[in-house]
Amino acid sequence: MVRVLKPVELIVVASEKGRVTVKYPYQEPLVTSDFRGAIRIDASKCIGCGACVKACPPNALELLESPDRLVIRYFVGRCIFCWRCVDVCPVKAVVGTREFELATDRVEDLFNYTVHRRAECRECGSGFATRRMVEYVTEKSAVSEYYANECPECRKAKVLKAAARRRGGV
Amino acid sequence: MPGVEEYVRLAQERGGKWVAHGDTVHLVVDPSDLRPIADKIFNEYGASFRTCVGTDERPLNNHFSITHLFTDDRSGLYIALKSYLDPENPVAPSIADVVPAADWCELEAWDMLGIRFEGRRLERLVLPYWWPEGVHPLRKEFDYKSRPDVSLARSERVALRKEVGTVPLGPYHPALHEPEYFELYVKGERVVDVRYRGFHVHRGIEKLAESRMNYQQVNFLAERICGICGFEHSTCYALAVEKAAGVDVPERAQFIRSIVLEVERLHSHLLLLGVAFHLLGYDAGFMHMWRVRERTMVLAEMLTGSRKTYGINLVGGVRRDINEEKKSKVLSELGGLVKDFKRVVEIAVSAPNVKRRLTGTGILPKEDARRLGVEGPVARASGIDKDARRDLPYAAYKYASFRVPVYTEGDNMARVLVRVEEVFESVSIIEQLLDKLPKGPIMAEKVEIPPGRVGVQVVEAPRGGDIHYVLTGDGRPYRWRVRAPTYANIPALKVMLRDQRLADAPITIASIDPCFSCTDRVVVVRDDGVVERLEVGASW
Repeated sequence: MVRVLKPVELIVVASEKGRVTVKYPYQEPLVTSDFRGAIRIDASKCIGCGACVKACPPNALELLESPDRLVIRYFVGRCIFCWRCVDVCPVKAVVGTREFELATDRVEDLFNYTVHRRAECRECGSGFATRRMVEYVTEKSAVSEYYANECPECRKAKVLKAAARRRGGV
Repeated sequence: MPGVEEYVRLAQERGGKWVAHGDTVHLVVDPSDLRPIADKIFNEYGASFRTCVGTDERPLNNHFSITHLFTDDRSGLYIALKSYLDPENPVAPSIADVVPAADWCELEAWDMLGIRFEGRRLERLVLPYWWPEGVHPLRKEFDYKSRPDVSLARSERVALRKEVGTVPLGPYHPALHEPEYFELYVKGERVVDVRYRGFHVHRGIEKLAESRMNYQQVNFLAERICGICGFEHSTCYALAVEKAAGVDVPERAQFIRSIVLEVERLHSHLLLLGVAFHLLGYDAGFMHMWRVRERTMVLAEMLTGSRKTYGINLVGGVRRDINEEKKSKVLSELGGLVKDFKRVVEIAVSAPNVKRRLTGTGILPKEDARRLGVEGPVARASGIDKDARRDLPYAAYKYASFRVPVYTEGDNMARVLVRVEEVFESVSIIEQLLDKLPKGPIMAEKVEIPPGRVGVQVVEAPRGGDIHYVLTGDGRPYRWRVRAPTYANIPALKVMLRDQRLADAPITIASIDPCFSCTDRVVVVRDDGVVERLEVGASW
């Protein structure tokens, strides 16, 4: 083609390619199967260990603690959809989804709570860790059953007592 | 060509200390020797000045320190020239007169750490004008959550000059939608002087990483430094930490990093080319360039799970593997993409309005380019043959062969053409690396990061070399310094814009592909020259 007319060639390209704009939201959005969207926490699997909270770069996952409850709060407004929580969850309770249409006019919709009950110490009755965590540890190792129902404080005290007894040369 | 011995001798001659570790030569000298040694490294040995790093090391050894980072691109060496400064009154001699490229980073060290540089003017660069005197946020005693008491002055006067007119360009670039503010002084249609004010939106990312994050979290923070070349930053950070800690990263992970880096370069260059055509009023070219770009975005999502901010880097490796299915998909998509791009770009650069307005405008002579230490396509369009992918090979670039396009014209056209050629090279690099992709794990088995180690890394982003400096600490970086390429390129705009037509200013500014950061305030200039600032969004 003559050099001067080269720019006109764009019309050919345009007619070949046709319309590329998708009429979203009336049409399917352009997300591939590999897309990382919001996460979901399966409350029936979660043990409340807090690994996801530690790994979360933007603090979208937070641990709210009280003497009898432990809550994992997921705030999607801070989430960067990196799925680090999905990687680190030891029980695969955190699942990644392809959801990205997360806008809402109610701020509460942006929060998700996973509530855990504390385990009760056999000795002093105070709450520690979570019940699920104790179950998980007990399941993993049968020998831990004896200690697992005691809070860290009581466990410490017991060990010290035992050590003192040994040194006493009974 | 100077090697390790020459650099070591510089410190030895003056009774300094030195350590050569891997590709980095650490020189520790007396502050009074900084200037002559920097002069010799920059002007005689021809090394590139990358940035300087001020560090508050008082909790460690009761000193401040300043480290000038050079890279010798011919012998592939990093040179870290360091001096310890007084803890009470940190004073260092300025090297900005012999190394003009050090101008901004010295001002930044003054703002953020209160290191005083002798023999130069000191003024606010990074901190806003209403920030209280004597509060230096990167000092360790400054808590990252604290907010100093400030009284916001609501208006400020623009420096009006009698003999010339003033045209404020900003706070948004006409096409890039990012905060920037140029004051162009014009005589008729000609620009006679330029004043730049930036850092409106300093986000304190370095402080955040040093205060709150852990090593693995910083990857995701680093990725958010830039919306376009984020993956370069997270790779650069990860490589710097890995270098500092001596982590053995699997080859496959390095290949995947390089492949994704090139995918990011593709989308970034296509974006800029589109923006450039838009600025020249050639919107058809813009639309088609971005149509082609969309294909690279889909590629990125397929490889990483996200169109942008890929989030697959960790210290020690990557999080997403490339399987055979993805590999063949990428290869077939690239073939179509490159044909599509070639056709569109050939048409676009032959359009008369594009050709005429790019050719001969915004010229940056080679000597100015070297002096100001410009980076990337801006440097390569002005005849400076440097590219960190070839000169300081990292990730898997040593396994790919590619050409580094260099033009000598130094005008806007040259900068556009460098990018056009780089698109073809990037496609070829991806194809080569996918072909050679080795088998194996994608994450190092053991990642242990001892405190007190230093890692310096340059990664060639689409806009030029990013540099990250990491001094490791306890569970998180003790000092993390980042310098993005636009930081080095903006000072060159003064040269490019001067004696140009006002109408060419937007395209010249866009031709460095600037990356100002996000969120902003609005500036209104009234007739009498009073600038009103309207704070938008949350202010403290």
